[in-house]
Amino acid sequence: MTTVEKVKKILVEDLHLEGLTPGDIDENAPLFGEGLGLDSLDAVELVVIMQKHFGIDIQNMDEAKTAFQSIHALASYIEARLSNG
Amino acid sequence: MRSTDAPRTRRENKAWSARSIGSRWQHRFFYALIRFAGRRAAYVMVDFIALYYVLFRPSVRVRSLPYLSRRFPGRTALLRLWDGYRITVEIGRVLVDRAAMGILGPGQLTVRYGKREELLERVREGRGLILVTAHAGCWQFAMESLRLLDTPTSLLLHREDGDVDLHIFEHRGDEAAFRIIDPAGPFGGALEMLQVLKHGEVLCIMADRAMGGDRSTVVVEFLGGRVRVPVSPYQLASATGAPVVVIFPYKSGPGNYSLQVAKVLRVQGGLGRTPEAYRPYAEEFIRALEGFVEERPYQFFNFFDMWNLEPMR
Repeated sequence: MTTVEKVKKILVEDLHLEGLTPGDIDENAPLFGEGLGLDSLDAVELVVIMQKHFGIDIQNMDEAKTAFQSIHALASYIEARLSNG
Repeated sequence: MRSTDAPRTRRENKAWSARSIGSRWQHRFFYALIRFAGRRAAYVMVDFIALYYVLFRPSVRVRSLPYLSRRFPGRTALLRLWDGYRITVEIGRVLVDRAAMGILGPGQLTVRYGKREELLERVREGRGLILVTAHAGCWQFAMESLRLLDTPTSLLLHREDGDVDLHIFEHRGDEAAFRIIDPAGPFGGALEMLQVLKHGEVLCIMADRAMGGDRSTVVVEFLGGRVRVPVSPYQLASATGAPVVVIFPYKSGPGNYSLQVAKVLRVQGGLGRTPEAYRPYAEEFIRALEGFVEERPYQFFNFFDMWNLEPMR
């Protein structure tokens, strides 16, 4: 399973995205607002999910703004952080 | 402090305005009066202006009506005018005190809180501390007094564009005692708030006004009607393990303010993103607020119809 697929699966399950399957999610669509339609409550959950599933602690807003652009951006961020140890 | 290209998950979708009803020259007049004649002279002026507002500016008077008619049901028209006058005088005097503290210095007023040690113990837990409060008394005095905790403090605060009402530190021309997080900012300020708590710092949130979509709120009973309140304080507590302390700053006498530590809430971890999971905590907050307005009815300053539940965008 690729990181993108794993992220999609985790988001659908942990955020309880009703009526959505991982396959329905466009990996390049924005996570917030238009696109997946997440909101500020979900931003907190995303940080928790990153810690829980990947052991990644998002340290600052700039990182979050980059990582939370889309599923693809989030997966790239995870891969970069994991490869850097 | 923040770039403008980040996602904004909250817009100006709110039923209230944080903007002062006074014009710029009216504020300047009061600032000059305080500077040259003192706080008590400004109080006298407030009393007259409050009378004018209540008798001749129904558009101002009606702002407090939704709250007062629920707090004091069945009042006669005359008593209703009296209630409107009392609450207008109270907020006017609080605003005078706030300006006096900034213009004349902190020696003008005394701010006390009896449970400092309890707050310090919560801070020492190392998971951050969430203070939830309401538009009661003067929150700025509470924030000033929190300097005594020796812990960096942040406040979730939305300021209207063009608001002419100055904060205490702006009068003094120095640094604020607290950092401001704007709920209209990226991710509704949620990630900044999360970072504050992760660093073991203090975060203060007004939990009696909702900003954002319906999904970030729950509807609870307050003074016999249904109001919408935010769940973000409790969700942050669930995500971080931070204790939530309900506080109400209030004017306890001429020149005196106190900080009431009403309740400590422990939010269960891992409650997730469903607002309904946080309803019990929002209800506990509202029960504490009801207790506060029972004791100090003229010190609750939410001048909009909280009970109007039209869907938020």
